[in-house]
Parts: sequence; C-alpha cells; structure tokens
Amino acid sequence: MTRSIALSLVFHSVMIILTAISLPFMMRTPVDLPPILSVDLIQITDTTNIPFAAKAAKTLEKLKKEEEKRVVSEQAPPTQKKKEKPDRIPLPEDLNKEKKEIVKKKQNPEEIKDEIRQASEFEKEELFDPDQIAALIDKSKEETAETLKKDKKITQSNKKTSFASALTLSQEDALKAQIFGCWSLPLGLPYHKNLLVRIKLRLKPDGTVLRSEILDHARMNQPGQGFYKVLAESALRAIRICQPLRVPPTGYEKWKDLQLNFDANEMLKG
Amino acid sequence: MVSLTNLRKFLVVVLAGIALTACATQGKKGTNIAGDVYTGNDTVEYLATGVKDRVFFATNKSTLTTASRDTLRKQAAWMRKKSKLKFTIEGHADERGTREYNLALGERRANAVKDYLMTYGISGSRLNVISYGKERPVNSGSNPLAWSQNRRSVTVKAE
Amino acid sequence: MKKIFLFIFCLFIFNNSAKALVEVDITRGNLDPLPIAVSPLYVESGSVDIKQGDKIIKNVGEEISKIIEINFKRSGLFNPLKKDSFVQKPDIAHVKPRFEDWRLIKAQALVTGKVTVSEEKLRVEFRLWDVVAAKEMVALAFSTTPNNWRRVAHIISDKVYQRLTGEEGYFDTRIIYVSETGPKTQRYKKLAIMDQDGANVKYLTLGNELVLTPRFSPKNQLVTYLSYFRNLPRVYLLDIETGVQEVVGDFPGMTFAPRFSPDGEKIIMSFAKDGNSDIYTMNLKTRVVEKITDHTSIDTSPSYSPDGKYIAFNSDRSGLQQIYVMRSDGSNVKRITFGKGLYGTPVWSPRGDLIAFTKVRKGKFYIGVMRTDGSGERLLTENYYQEAPSWSPNGRVLIFYRETKADSDGKGFSAKLWSIDLTGYNERLIETETDGSDPSWSSLLSK
Repeated sequence: MTRSIALSLVFHSVMIILTAISLPFMMRTPVDLPPILSVDLIQITDTTNIPFAAKAAKTLEKLKKEEEKRVVSEQAPPTQKKKEKPDRIPLPEDLNKEKKEIVKKKQNPEEIKDEIRQASEFEKEELFDPDQIAALIDKSKEETAETLKKDKKITQSNKKTSFASALTLSQEDALKAQIFGCWSLPLGLPYHKNLLVRIKLRLKPDGTVLRSEILDHARMNQPGQGFYKVLAESALRAIRICQPLRVPPTGYEKWKDLQLNFDANEMLKG
Repeated sequence: MVSLTNLRKFLVVVLAGIALTACATQGKKGTNIAGDVYTGNDTVEYLATGVKDRVFFATNKSTLTTASRDTLRKQAAWMRKKSKLKFTIEGHADERGTREYNLALGERRANAVKDYLMTYGISGSRLNVISYGKERPVNSGSNPLAWSQNRRSVTVKAE
Repeated sequence: MKKIFLFIFCLFIFNNSAKALVEVDITRGNLDPLPIAVSPLYVESGSVDIKQGDKIIKNVGEEISKIIEINFKRSGLFNPLKKDSFVQKPDIAHVKPRFEDWRLIKAQALVTGKVTVSEEKLRVEFRLWDVVAAKEMVALAFSTTPNNWRRVAHIISDKVYQRLTGEEGYFDTRIIYVSETGPKTQRYKKLAIMDQDGANVKYLTLGNELVLTPRFSPKNQLVTYLSYFRNLPRVYLLDIETGVQEVVGDFPGMTFAPRFSPDGEKIIMSFAKDGNSDIYTMNLKTRVVEKITDHTSIDTSPSYSPDGKYIAFNSDRSGLQQIYVMRSDGSNVKRITFGKGLYGTPVWSPRGDLIAFTKVRKGKFYIGVMRTDGSGERLLTENYYQEAPSWSPNGRVLIFYRETKADSDGKGFSAKLWSIDLTGYNERLIETETDGSDPSWSSLLSK
C-alpha cells in the first residue's frame, strides 16, 4: 500500500514537472496563416463561350482595357523627350516608323518576334548612348505591352493551325458544354468495364442531325455487354435532346461529319 | 501582464494534475473497471453467502482474471456441497460487436468457466453451457460501464 | 440526272481527300435520376374491383402505377414525374402516345399499360416508350391472380429497370428479418417477411423464443434461422408455405449463423463444440455432415460465392476478427483483410465480384465492400452501431440494420433496417411496423 502511494507520488510529481515545463510551449500564439485564395485556371480565348466562364470573360476584358491604357501612356514619354532634344529631331520620323512597325506587328504575329530580337541587338550596339538607351527603354516597354496583348492572339492562331479538328478550342468547349448538359448518364452501369461509345453524326448546317451511326455496333447485342446498349441509347438520347447542336456558324464542310466519343468512365469511377 | 500568464500556467498545471489523479490505476479504491474487466458488485447476485454468481471479461476476451478464478473456486466449493444440483453456465457479450461473433464469444466464455469448475472436481455432466451473445444485456446503457457489466458469465441453478 | 451525277462525283472527291473527322470527347454528363413518366394503367371496362381481405381496390391501374413510382423513386436511379402534369389519358397513351406532349414535361421515358380484372384473373399489358427517340422499347403482357396485383407492379418495375439500366431489377423480391419489441434487456423477437417495399408483412413465429439471423433458400421456399426453442440454440428450417419447422441435424451443442448453399442443397453454419466454433455443412437430402474448418479459433459467418466454389468467413485465428476466403471443401484458407480494425459478417455479392462486410474501428461501425481478394476496400457508411449487410439479388443494393444508443434505463434504444446503394448514395430507412434487425434479401420471385 505505502509503496504504491510513494510510487504514485513520484510519478505524479514527474508528470507535474513535465507539464510545467512543456505547457508554456503549448500556449504560444498560433502562427498567422495567410488566407487561402481560390484560383480559377481559365483558358483564355477571345470567343470562349462556356456558360460558366461569363465572369472570366468580363475580367479578361478589364485586363485588356488596362493594358491598352498602359500602352498608350508608355507611348507618351518618348514624344515628350523628342521635343526637348534638338538632336533628336529625326526621332519623330523614327517614332512614326516605330508606330508603323507597331501597327504591322499587330497584323503579323511572327514579325513581332523579329522586332524583339532586333531590339536586343540594338541595345547591345548603342549601349553607350544614354539618350538612345532612354528611347530604347521606352520602346521595349511599348513592345512588351504590345506583345502581352498579342501573346493571347498568338496562342489562338497557333492553335488554329495546329489543331487537327475544324473546331477551335472555344468552339469545341461550347459543343461539349452543351452535350454535357443533355446527357443523362445511366446510373446502373458497371464500374470496371469499357464505357466508351462512339457515335458518328452527319449534321445539317443548322446543327440538326441528318444521320447517326453507332460505331462498335456489334457490341450492342453481345452477351455480357447489355450495358453497352443502354449506354449507347443514353448517348443517342442526349444528342436528340440537344438538337440543334452548337456548331460554328461557318466552315460547314469541316465539321459536318462529327464523331462524339461518349465515355462514362470518368464520371462513374469517381 | 506577466503575472497573468504565470497564473494561467500555474492553473493549467494544477488542473492537469487533478485530471491525472482521476485516471484509474490498478488496485485503487472506488473504480469499477480494471484492465477492461468489471470489478464492482452491481448486478452481481449470490448463489449462497459469499458465493458470487458471475465473473466478468475484457473486450473480445475469454480469459479469467484472478478475481474471477477466486469467485469460481468459491462456486466450485459450494457446488461440491450441493452434489445433487445441476447448473447452467450462461455466456454473454457486450453490444459492441457483430451478432454472430458475439454468440461464439459468449460460448467461449461460458466454456472457460465450465473448464475451470471442472478442474475443481465438478463433473461436466452437471454443467450445461448456453451462450446468449449480446441478446440479454443486464445493463441497457450505451457506455463503457454498462458494456463491462454485460461481458459476463453467469452460473444459474438449473430447473 | 446531271445534278445527281455531279453530286455523286463530288461525294467521291470529298471522300477521297484527306479529311480530319472532327472528334469531340464527351466525358461528362449529369448524374441526375432519369426523368420517367409512369402513366396510370388503363383499366379495361367490365373489370371488377379487387377484394383483398377487408380492403377493396377500386382502381388497380392507378394503384399499380403508384407502386412502380415508389420503386423507382427509392432506387435513386429514376425520377418519376408528377401525374398532374400528364396531358394524355391512360387509354390513349398506351396505344399512341403523343411524344411531343410527354417531351414537354421533360420525360425521357414513358410507361403505359392496360389491365383487365375478372374474378379469377388479372391480365396486364404494359409498354415502355423512349420519348426522345419516339419509339417503343418494351412491350409485354402477362396474367396472374387478382390478389397478386402488387407483384404485377414489381414485375413491371423490374422489366423497365432492366431495359433502362442494363442490370436486372430487384423489385419483385421479399425481405426476411427479425421483428423486435420490448425492453432492451428482454427483447421479444419474431421472424417476419415483407415485400421489398414494406407491404404484406407476415410473422412466421410467435415470439415465445429468441430467433436470430434468418436466411432465404435460393428458391425462396425455405427459410433457415437460429432459434432458442426449449432453451437450446439450434439452426432450424422453416417451410414458408406449410409453416413446418425442423431442427437441422442432431448436433450436441449450439449451431448458429446458418446460410444456404447457392444450389439450395446444403446448409452451412457454425457449430460450437467445447467452446470452439467451427464451420460445418449438412446436406439436406442425404443428411451428411461435413466439417469445413478445423481451428481453435472462432470461425463463423460463412458465405458462399455465387458459383459455390469458395466460402468467405469470419475468423479470429489471427487474434482479432478478420475475413478469410477458402475453397468450399475447406482447403486453401487465405486471409483477405489486413486493415486496422475488426472485420466481420462477410457476404459475397450475387455478381461474384465483391464481398460486403462490417468493420469496427475506434468505436465506430462501418458497412463496406471490397474485392474478393481483399483489395479495393470502400467504406459506404459509418454509424454508432450497424452490421450484417445483405445483397439485393442484382448485387446493387445492400440492406443492413442499425441500433441507437440508450441510456441506462434503456430509453432511446431502437433497431431499424436501412439500405444503401453500392455507390454509397441513396442511404434509406426502411419503414417497418416494429423495430427490426438481421435483414436478408430473397432472390427474384419471378424466376
């Protein structure tokens, strides 16, 4: 009995000492974490019209306007400097040339890049002329401002040419978004099977369906693949409900044969 | 301000100390559960003066504690005197397990008691075993005390 | 003519030119339940009212459509549309539905039908229509006795379900469970059977002795369960039609946790001998008893694979309750659960690909599924106390039971049947007259 009391006292006092030492550490104020900002990654194209990107479009317009303002303001200083220095009288002509070149840049994406390269070489040669440098700096600002604006256009045009389909990214997004809304996924589908059904369509210019064909038709009646029929029917239903499809206003020849690959795997695997 | 933080520290330490003393340890008075086995006298009935009718078990276990063996030795001694009587040994489990496993566990517990009684000379033919799994709790509460009281094996005089 | 030739010529040109077929990947859709309109079935003139006990069913066509709607709603896969928006009358809709009208209310599928009731016969005709494609998908007719009118609704539900999901339905089934009443310390338990939607409850025992863990035979004619009749816990067989009960075998100790083999010829169960529980089978015809497991641990809760080749069971041979799989002759025992916590009540899915189970960890109970090798463990729901899942015959829905906490007077205690979809969605309380536990699903009655 006494032994246990003594042991108990010893252990209790050890515990109390330990807590006395450690607890003050626990009472330190917590570190202030910066609030978590949610960032939405948006694909930037001029004509993306995915419904939920409405806000993004607005903010993009705002950004463009701001940059245009910036460009304008950066163009201003060089003109002022030219007035001050009589040596620089020829510069207004250069300026005009620059302006013309800038105008040209807007029309020809590739040329911008040349200009940038030229500018850097120019800088190297004229390193010791402070006035020239000042002009250069202003010029580069303009150029970067312009290139920023054009980078977006560059990407768009690049994708236009490299994209295998006749639809731009935004047009594809629009069509996808439309069909996503129409497709009622049959909820009873099995998990680990091939849930891909490909439907080939011949469209009319207004987006209505002239003909539809289910590829892999043989699967429809295969034993053990009963779900394929159900899946294919749901896809056909989606297409029918969605008519007229959201097709581009031009380029009918390019997209009149459309193949929709319905894949339920992503949504069902979860 | 400094004294205030010191006072807080002191209070926290004192409270922690009090909390520690509340933790049950072996052999301390006033606690009913030791090593997950009920050690109290609530729900216990008596076959005869000083002869408790039941023993208790830890969760998922059918091993007999020292106290249980003590109880069973007393039961055996009394049974030897009442040589004409037969008994039913009931095995029970708490509700914190699946039903079928609990039936098997109750059976194991009752058999552990029967085996121990037999080592003290009671003939197996006088001892009938039945498991009730979790079907007949003695305490309908949903708390550790109730569960510990339900993990039991009860010796009953057979009709 | 010239134009035609020119047209064909152009086709050839365009076909031969290298064309990039525009391909668009559709990887998302909506997971909303399919909107379906269930028109009340048209009752042929000259039909009589159905007498059921002391109730008279006046418009059985309407009643059948209501049962179908409830089935669809409870499955979580269909959204039956409200009847007050229906434009077409039942008789016309069944013959020539105006799909534009149905499309207006956003229906994608339509169920119509016709019933003819006489004193002895109930004849049913029904059709399933694809409203969007404007064509008929299913057309079936069958007849039965008038008092089976509820089963008509369930059979129609199953056919529609199968056509629209690709899976077999589960509506024409029954559930056997233990009905509970009374205080927690002295529960009064009876065997009960009901239709899967809660109707037609029948009690099979009187409640004088404890009954537990009932199971249907594969043909649904027999039931096996544990009874404490005369204070001797033993496995019994009960014939639902005749009500005759008999003990299974002649075991000198407690037998419990009984199930039927998939061919219905054997009962598999645990037998507790000298405190040790092993798994045994008994052939119902030959009465031959076989010992399947031989270990000093508790072996219980056996479950056959649908092909009868394997048995999943619960054993604590590793120290704590875990799930094992062995061949049906008892050889090749393999442990399949290695996660933290206890695992119990393994049930093999009728599809053969999954095993449902109960898991206990840190004082919480879980219902989950895993692949038959133990991988892919998915916990579907968590609760204070729940266990003993049972599969619907199409392997899609699990039924199980839950108990609530009680204070030391036993107040607040209840036991209820619940169901949940394999995906973890659509967790539902199943209404029963009394408290209930140990539910088990029958196979399809119409097979």
